Amino acid sequence: MPRISVDGRIIEVPESRTILQALDETGLLMAGIDVPHYCWHPKLSIDGSCRLCQVEVEGMPKLQIACNTPVADGMAIRTRSERVCSARQGVMELLLVNHPLDCAICDQAGECKLQDYAFEYGADASRTREPRRALKKNVELGPNIVLDQERCILCRRCVRFCDEVPATGELHVMGRGDRSVIETLPDEPLANDYSMNVADLCPVGALTTRDFRFKVRVWFLDDVPGVCTGCANGCNVTIGVSKNRVYRYQPRRNDAVNDTWLCDRGRLSYKRIGSGDRLAQASLRGTASAREPVSCGTAVAAAAARLQQLTDAAGAAALVVLASPHASNEDLFTLRRFCDALGVTARGAAVVLGPQDRLLMKAEQAANAEGARRLGFGPPDALLARVRCGEAAGALVFGHDVLDPAHLGGPEALTALETLVVVDLQDSALARCADVAIPVRHAAEREGTLTNFAGLAQRVQPAVEPGWEAWTDGEVVWRLGAALGLAGFEGAYDVRSVSRELAQAVPGFSGIDLDRVGEHGLSLAGVGS
Amino acid sequence: MGPQVPLITNYLTQHFLDDAAVGLEGYERLGGYAALRRALENSPADLIELITSAGLQGRGGAGFSTGLKWSFMPADGELPKYLVCNGDESEPGSFKDRILMERGPHQLLEGILIAAWATGAEKTFLYVRGEYERPAEALERAIAEARARGIVGTNVCGSDFAHDIVVIRGAGAYICGEETGLLESLEGKKGQPRKKPPFPAQYGAFGRPTTVNNVETLCHVPHIVNNGADWFRGFGTEKSPGTTLFGVSGQIARPGLFELPLGTPLDELVFEHAGGPAADQRVKGVIPGGLSMPVLPADQLDVPMANEFLRERRTMLGTGGVMVMDERTCMVRASVVIAHFFRDESCGQCTQCREGTGWIHKLVERIERGAGVMEDITVLEDICAKMEGQTICAFADAAAWPIQGMLRHFRGEFEAHVVQRRCGFAESFEL
Repeated sequence: MPRISVDGRIIEVPESRTILQALDETGLLMAGIDVPHYCWHPKLSIDGSCRLCQVEVEGMPKLQIACNTPVADGMAIRTRSERVCSARQGVMELLLVNHPLDCAICDQAGECKLQDYAFEYGADASRTREPRRALKKNVELGPNIVLDQERCILCRRCVRFCDEVPATGELHVMGRGDRSVIETLPDEPLANDYSMNVADLCPVGALTTRDFRFKVRVWFLDDVPGVCTGCANGCNVTIGVSKNRVYRYQPRRNDAVNDTWLCDRGRLSYKRIGSGDRLAQASLRGTASAREPVSCGTAVAAAAARLQQLTDAAGAAALVVLASPHASNEDLFTLRRFCDALGVTARGAAVVLGPQDRLLMKAEQAANAEGARRLGFGPPDALLARVRCGEAAGALVFGHDVLDPAHLGGPEALTALETLVVVDLQDSALARCADVAIPVRHAAEREGTLTNFAGLAQRVQPAVEPGWEAWTDGEVVWRLGAALGLAGFEGAYDVRSVSRELAQAVPGFSGIDLDRVGEHGLSLAGVGS
Repeated sequence: MGPQVPLITNYLTQHFLDDAAVGLEGYERLGGYAALRRALENSPADLIELITSAGLQGRGGAGFSTGLKWSFMPADGELPKYLVCNGDESEPGSFKDRILMERGPHQLLEGILIAAWATGAEKTFLYVRGEYERPAEALERAIAEARARGIVGTNVCGSDFAHDIVVIRGAGAYICGEETGLLESLEGKKGQPRKKPPFPAQYGAFGRPTTVNNVETLCHVPHIVNNGADWFRGFGTEKSPGTTLFGVSGQIARPGLFELPLGTPLDELVFEHAGGPAADQRVKGVIPGGLSMPVLPADQLDVPMANEFLRERRTMLGTGGVMVMDERTCMVRASVVIAHFFRDESCGQCTQCREGTGWIHKLVERIERGAGVMEDITVLEDICAKMEGQTICAFADAAAWPIQGMLRHFRGEFEAHVVQRRCGFAESFEL
């Protein structure tokens, strides 16, 4: 490995990298060694045009751009010399010559690299007296992205993203020189499945998402690390929260999962958290068809009573359990123990399939379908056949994925049963006909781990609190077990001890521990190992 | 006989007055393609050695050693490798390549084929400036003739060497004369210079090893092969051998093309060969090498036209396009024209160039209008300094240098505009 010196500090860097790549991979870039940059991005091709990352390399007469200069053993780099600082100041001044400086009404303010670097590396005052470029504002490039051409600094990250990642190439630089603008072609809107990433890539306020703009000032947002629950890929996200409300998902870099990207569908799936169709109230079906609102405790007690009645009358074999592929590993492990204790063998998990692609989108539309499989909740076909042919008397159903046409196609078969207990995030047709309906928490409202399609366990933690009484799937199961007097469900539910027990009890999950999973996940051993 | 012929000729242009020498028959009658046949008997390495020892410098503006450039090409390795002949000639004030292509197409083809043999290229893209319709036609005609005679094709002059030449027409952008901007344009993309590394010899046209040579550069090659390095070194200066084609234009009695040895003094060129300014005028400044080179004031014209001397006066030979301005010319107004050109032609990739060219133009335009302040002049100098040497290609330098030259030698005129709040000159040309 080549050893280079940066401002006198000797570091070992990977071979065949440029200076910026090497600093990025050693984790030092903008975290110990500051080389400001606009056009360079770790996941895009090198452009070399913004010229902000110029550094002094010993033995080279001109300043070199760190993004495109290969490292070599013994190379000595200076990132803070007077020449470097003066060049940076020059770039900053020139970038601001045509910028509208409308930070007061710009959504990017507070997370704007132009603001940050102007403050850090720019001059104190402007010397330009010339009129600034008057260009198009509020241009709808596609369904999700709005462009302000005046704010653009032409780093062309967005153009390269569209060319290289979804490879749809909708964005172009039209014109030359200081008439250059980002545009789409007529009838070719920016409408690819990943279009909103350009707003993250844009270092300034030129590209914003229609969903987020003008909703909240970013400095009011807390950033909570989380995982997108849109599909089985488990893309890492940063959840932007203010006053107990989620305003956005942004991709959080995880090179093993989603690089720095997020699909638009997943990004907008944060809306499920605060959505109006959440199941926000436990209920019992009264004698009439009306639902009687009750506390979660009452609902759990009622559910336990019904399940007791059913198993007493027809035995555990008459009960089917459908786990939720959205629940956490800890939830599912708790449910597995519940089934074992009760003697229920008819277990499975219904998963809805959707569109997939070669990038991030996976067919399984649930964040923990793989975890469910690994914990013994496999395809529900045999179990659903029993429901259809009347071999089952009752069902304990988590989630409503089973309503998908690929499974039952509707609630009828389940509502025909003697007993139907539904535990769900959303108020679906199933919850509406259940004997007992119990609300649960979203992944962004709880502690736990999710296993993505590749067997990577990733941690979620509470970003917001639901505005109503709700437990996690695991806690509901725990309380059900306790109410039924099952062994192993004594005391209060504690997700940490469940997590430790999971690690001990299930070989594939050995080593898993909430606090050991880390911000980039922990790979589980293969199934059966 | 076309009207555009050199006023002074030497080995490159000696037959350009003769219409009969333009076609293949006439060219061969005068000994054409003998150099190619001789070259094919020599190894590529020997040819590169010959051109290197002749000291041929690229005539496209940068003056880089042609032999050295050829030696950068990987000697073996996978085909295809390419040669690109740069006939974009977009530098304002330069019109030599046009005449070389129109009047001596076979001389250029012979140079191309020798260079192709030396660099192992299997195909040449001859990139001709979009506006150059006649040169492109002349070349197409010449290529057809050469192909019919077996000079271009699968067995060049009966040898095992196969080479094809294709004419590609540009669309009129200055930046497509920059070698990697040209390569992008050649590939059908927007003309924007590429970052280096990689260099064209590693990753050139369509990602293959490529040598890019200027038209005039290649035209010298057959003569060196025919007559030897020592003969070539008999022209010009020790460091800058050979002749070159000076294109003289502007406020001058006899504008035109002059093939003279490098090192010919600028004042001799302007006053003797080109006849000096109009009878009642005096020369005020001369741009020695195309619009991108810094101007020289009247008292600094006693300089040999070769880079080693011009550099001492903080300018360069460039493409040899000499532009003469007499005392009627407002240098601020001339600066506006220069700044406008570079603002218009900047490709817009690099921050300094995109924003700097626009700012410079707005500033000098405001000073010319009489609306400038003294600080503007300082700012102008500072922007130029910050553009220089910091971008992907040399365009930003090309935009900054002429303005720096104007400020260096004619700062008083800028200050006068500010103080008098107007331009003191009669409008010699429209903006």
